[in-house]
Amino acid sequence: MNFMSSEDQIAYRDSVATMLAAEVTAESIRARWDSPKGIDEKLIEQLNELGLNTMLVPESCGGLGLSELDFILLAQECGRAALPEPLVDNVLVANAMLADVACSDLVSAKQCEDLLSEVAAGKVMLACGHWINPFINMAHIHQWLLLSHGDEVHLVESSAVELLPQRSADPSRRIFKVNWQPKAETRIANGEAGAGLWRRALNRGALGVAAQLIGLSESILHRAVGFTADREQFGRPVGSNQAVKHLLADCAVSLEFAKPVMARAAYAVGSNSSDADCAVSHAKVAASRAAQLCARHGMQVHGAMGYTWECDLHIWMKRCWAIDKTWGDAGFHKNRIHERLLDPSTLMGAGHTFTSATSKTYNSQEGAA
Amino acid sequence: MKLDFSPQDESFRQEIANWLANNLCGEFDIICGRGGPGDQHSLVEERKAWEQKLYKGGWTCIGWPTEFGGRDASIEQQVIFNEEYARAQGPGRAGHIGETLVGPTLIAFGSQSQKDRYLPGILKGETFWCQGYSEPNAGSDLANVKTKAVFDETSQQWQITGQKVWTSLARESDYCFVIARTDLKSTGHRGLGFFLVPIDQPGVTVRPIKQLTGTSEFNEVFFDNAECLDDDLVGESGDGWKVAMGLLGFERGVSTLGQQMLFQNELDEVISLAKTNGSARNPQIRQRIAEAHIGLKIMRYNSLRILSSEQGDGQLQKEAMIYKLYWSSWHRNLGKLAMDVMGPEGELLQGKSYELNSLQSMYLFSRADTIYGGTNQIQRNLIAERALGMPREPRG
Repeated sequence: MNFMSSEDQIAYRDSVATMLAAEVTAESIRARWDSPKGIDEKLIEQLNELGLNTMLVPESCGGLGLSELDFILLAQECGRAALPEPLVDNVLVANAMLADVACSDLVSAKQCEDLLSEVAAGKVMLACGHWINPFINMAHIHQWLLLSHGDEVHLVESSAVELLPQRSADPSRRIFKVNWQPKAETRIANGEAGAGLWRRALNRGALGVAAQLIGLSESILHRAVGFTADREQFGRPVGSNQAVKHLLADCAVSLEFAKPVMARAAYAVGSNSSDADCAVSHAKVAASRAAQLCARHGMQVHGAMGYTWECDLHIWMKRCWAIDKTWGDAGFHKNRIHERLLDPSTLMGAGHTFTSATSKTYNSQEGAA
Repeated sequence: MKLDFSPQDESFRQEIANWLANNLCGEFDIICGRGGPGDQHSLVEERKAWEQKLYKGGWTCIGWPTEFGGRDASIEQQVIFNEEYARAQGPGRAGHIGETLVGPTLIAFGSQSQKDRYLPGILKGETFWCQGYSEPNAGSDLANVKTKAVFDETSQQWQITGQKVWTSLARESDYCFVIARTDLKSTGHRGLGFFLVPIDQPGVTVRPIKQLTGTSEFNEVFFDNAECLDDDLVGESGDGWKVAMGLLGFERGVSTLGQQMLFQNELDEVISLAKTNGSARNPQIRQRIAEAHIGLKIMRYNSLRILSSEQGDGQLQKEAMIYKLYWSSWHRNLGKLAMDVMGPEGELLQGKSYELNSLQSMYLFSRADTIYGGTNQIQRNLIAERALGMPREPRG
């Protein structure tokens, strides 16, 4: 057993982190708010060059064949940078879902494999419209959409649907409702296969949000520590007051305790473990809690400055608030946790910390009803 | 103890309820439920006209003594007024700073001339006020005020220079009350004066601050040799801190009752949405709604208890110290509850510009509640040091 990331994972993360730190500044994020598309297309190309696009695609399909465990470190960096581009949902959810079909024995496998090679080449982008989310972020920059109709998975060209633009309280997000009619020819999976694909997508999506929330929180905490060291009242830094220190110490505790939960969830998803649902839900709840606390206390210690549009803090806080409810809110995820805990077949205690092979698979679609 | 309203009070309730029903309508329909916290910048002209309507009905400054045009209304009557006003969706009071802060302060500390010149305008809903306390380096440390007031012998006027910040409604106000240093060698709360400064003059510049809500209720106010009559210094030139703190005592007085009615309206909106969108079936949400109700009732009973123990002579009391901490924390939690009730739709804006709905706006604005008017951390220090008598934290 080893909770530590490998040297390769750390090196990959550092290269992405360095690039994001250089390319994504608060100023450049604000510039996106006023731009027509709301994204930096060059940056997406640069990220593709690093191979991010097909990180979770098996080598047999031309990808890097890495796992969720490798990717969450990068998702965390995307959060830290408050990256507006929908990289995490693309790579971790949509592209991985397409790869799942491409590598399956479904009749649509060939079609998906062909599209996957175009995605890998950076020619087209694919987004996932999961039934749990009312909106698709940045739908307008994607040529293809995965859409749900019950358990059915449809692969639809975005030019064939109506995208209804909505406004988000987070100015970095461009969200859309999708108006479409399912047709037999766009269906790539249904029945149990479809339900399984949506369940994995949900776990990957929620895992991605958890990782981003942790990165966002780290950035907020870093800013808060910096601000309270500089800002003086009563002739000394406000951060020298115990009352202020304790607020940020509580953030650090909450944040650090969410990290191993996220790693454990990524491991469960990556290894297709039977307790992945519960592990992911735990990670989402823990990361949300940490992010809410960091946003709240981070703003509190900034005083009135943190309430202004000019102060960059709200770029991070609003992202926390907006994505907190995506891929299932706290109520949904707590339900998945106690469903499992109260299931008589669930084994707990010594020897059952990491695996529980006998548990039945939980149907997430039913759980949401 | 007697926990009910007398027949006279009930007939007073009928009177104000009828008046509101007959007058808060027609041209005033658009301001119903508007202009509260987080929305104070909206429909200002219409709300100023409404103040004059209130005056004509005899409903401004009802708590003031009759000699200044008030009704000398009892605490019970003021409670009833606030309840009925909120029930009728009365708009946020454009004149509330004048009525609840400046008026009582001038009645307690002002000269006859100041009372004569300023109280009628407030009473009639014709003059509007804002507060010049905080500065860039005088926030939690309010006594660190650097704005200075120098008496010019030639013009026989005060000249005020400096910067105030987080000033609500400065653009909509006629006057700003300002604490400024009259003894330029002084530090801390000594050597300050409390001035009544006209906004519309060359020496005053108001610049709006854009908030994370996308709107601008707050402003920066710059004073560059702004002129102020000698007669507009309240009290003596070293009395500024005493007057300023006296004013804050009024802030924690009867105005809290109207605020609780707004909170009740917000809680009702949250409950109504929870019922409509189905989140009320979620046991966690149900528990939190019950907690919110409990918290609001605690606040209400506590306020009534404080107000019935004395008639608010402007002295900050121990019980009043706990109030800011309690309501701001409660309201911030209500904002979180509202977001959780809204669920994933909570990020959705209406309209083309950055337009928040009432619950989103409440959520964001309530993040500032635990900061302005003394942060929660400052409030806890006040409770520990002044109410409990614990040793003072080292300052400086």
